Amino acid sequence: MNAARQRWIILRDAVIIACISSAVGIVSNALRSDGIPLIQKTEYQILVPCPETTGEAPPLSPSDPALRDPDTLLIDARPAADFSADHLERSRNVPYDYLMPTDPAVVKDILKSSARRVVVIGDGGDPDPGEHLAKELAGKGIRNVFFVRGGLPAVRAAGGRP
Amino acid sequence: MNRLLSWGGHPPIALAARLYLGWVFLYACWHKIQHPADFALDIATYQILPLSLINIMAIVLPWLELIAGGLLILGFRTRAAALCISGMMVMFTVAIAIAVARGQDMSCGCFASQGVVEDPISYLTVLRDLGWTVLALYVLVFDRRPLGIDGWRLWRKDNAGSPA
Repeated sequence: MNAARQRWIILRDAVIIACISSAVGIVSNALRSDGIPLIQKTEYQILVPCPETTGEAPPLSPSDPALRDPDTLLIDARPAADFSADHLERSRNVPYDYLMPTDPAVVKDILKSSARRVVVIGDGGDPDPGEHLAKELAGKGIRNVFFVRGGLPAVRAAGGRP
Repeated sequence: MNRLLSWGGHPPIALAARLYLGWVFLYACWHKIQHPADFALDIATYQILPLSLINIMAIVLPWLELIAGGLLILGFRTRAAALCISGMMVMFTVAIAIAVARGQDMSCGCFASQGVVEDPISYLTVLRDLGWTVLALYVLVFDRRPLGIDGWRLWRKDNAGSPA
């Protein structure tokens, strides 16, 4: 058998394999209960990139004295509108975005601050943006980062600082 | 070149390559066949294919992996199966290289739908896929008398006309 004929047979067989595979795939998808539509109509929700909350950030009690310490840098991870409505004195708003990493300039500012510790406050929900931001900052090499268990509502309920 | 092609050492080397590649493809298709919706999401994450082609790819590709991988192990239509696998490997390698070049933080989705933390793509993933592409191309080009069903049929054909 010459080489050209051999190549033709290989190509023909490969096309047959691809056709059989396609047919088996389509039929089995049609028969199964959890089959998917052949053509997707709505966009897939792709959550990339996500900030990796890989660092260790221990929780603080809402009545912890560290919240009053002037050497503590207070960061509020809630959305800007919530921050405008109510926030702790001296706290800085860094809204946490579940889809995008925190702006490197903000991380650099925190690193440059002379604070002894960083305490992040969220809304105390599940998930809590305060906890996520604290872990993200810790994962980016910032030391002594904590988050307040229960977030701002817990601080207020504990009769905490203004 | 003809001497290289007709060298007698190719069939056993190609058999090892075929068994390894075949196992990789059978292993890779298993999760995708069981969970087509997850695999479709993995394909969508690459952001390469248009939306209309994502599901059909998720439905067909795992079965092509299963059938081509099985044929490679059995040594039946070996070089055609190697051509299918070479084509898939080139496609996978290009897709992962594009995703890595774009800086996408994601899992390759090659064996299971894992998160980026458990199985992130990198240039090492591209190198791994290039290695598998070379193996598939080796079988396609050099495995002319495969050890398996094809080889047995060729042996029968060669001996059909010989005197008893």
